Amino acid sequence: MNATFGAFLAAGLGMGLAAAGTGIGVSILAAKALEGMARQPEASNTIRTSMILAIAFVEAIALYALVVCLILATKV
Amino acid sequence: MNVIEHLSQKIVCPLQFGGIDLSITNGVIAMWLAVLLVTVFFWLVSRQLRPVPGKMQNLAEVLVLFIRDEIGGQLGDTRDRWLPFLAAIFTFILACNLLGLVPGVASATANINTTAALALIVFFVVQVVGVREHGFFPYLKSFIPEGVPLPIAVFMVPIELISTLAKPFSLAMRLFANMFAGHAVMFLILSMIVLFHSWLVVPLPVVGDTVFLAFELFIAFIQAFVFTYLSALYIATAQEGH
Repeated sequence: MNATFGAFLAAGLGMGLAAAGTGIGVSILAAKALEGMARQPEASNTIRTSMILAIAFVEAIALYALVVCLILATKV
Repeated sequence: MNVIEHLSQKIVCPLQFGGIDLSITNGVIAMWLAVLLVTVFFWLVSRQLRPVPGKMQNLAEVLVLFIRDEIGGQLGDTRDRWLPFLAAIFTFILACNLLGLVPGVASATANINTTAALALIVFFVVQVVGVREHGFFPYLKSFIPEGVPLPIAVFMVPIELISTLAKPFSLAMRLFANMFAGHAVMFLILSMIVLFHSWLVVPLPVVGDTVFLAFELFIAFIQAFVFTYLSALYIATAQEGH
C-alpha cells in the first residue's frame, strides 16, 4: 500500500467516475435535443448545432479529469 | 513505450536567443505546414473568382460563409470586421488538428503550449475590445455586479475575476485535452499488439484504430468550431456591454 498503488487506483477511479457523469450529461442533452427536433422539425439545424456545442462543453469537463488521471498514472 | 513520451515534441534544430529557448520542434514544423496549406489553398482559390463557382471556390465559399454567419452571427453588424480573425483561428486549428492525424506529422494542438498561446491571443483581444468599447474605468467597474449590497459585492469581485480568467483557461484545456486524449487512445489501442506479443491479435487493434480515426476526424472539426464559436461569443459579450 504505497504511493504508486494509490496513484494508479486514483487514476482509474477518477476517470471512471468522470466518464459516468459525462455519460449521464450527454444522454440528457441528446434526449432533450431529440425531443425538441421531434416537436419542431424545421428547427432541426439550429437544435443540432446547439446540441453539438453543448456536448463539447460537457466533454471538456471529462477531459479535465482525464488530464489529471494521466498525470497520476504516469508520474508516480 | 510511454504515451506522454510518444506525444512529446522532439527538437529538430536547437536555437537559443539570449537565454530563451526557441528551438524548432516537429510541432513547429507541423504548424508551419498547416499555415502553408491554408494560405496556398485560399490564395489559389482567390486567383480566379468566377460568378458560378467551381469546386474549390465552392468549398472555400461554404467555409467562409459558415464562419461569417453561424459563428460570427452573434457579433451582429460587426461580423465582416471580425471575419479575418475568426477565419484565421478556425482554419489554423482545423488544419493543425487534421494534420496531426496524419501518421508521422506531429500534432501541434495536442500540446498545451500551442493551445495556450491561441487562448491567450483570444483573451487579450477580448480585454482590449472591452476597454476600447466602454473605456477603462467602466471596464474595471464591470467586475462589480449591479444592484448588489456592498458586502456581497466585495465577495463577488474575486469570483468575477476568476471567471474571467477561467474562460481562456477552459478554451486552451478543451482543445488540448480533446486532441491529446484522441492521440493517446489511438496509441494505446495499437499498443495492444505489443502487449500481446502475437501476430494473431493484429487485425482487431488495426480495425478498431481505423474506426476511431473516423471519430477523431469528426472531433477535429467540432473542436475547431467550438473554439472559434466561444471566441466569437466572448468578443460579442465584450462588445455589447457586460
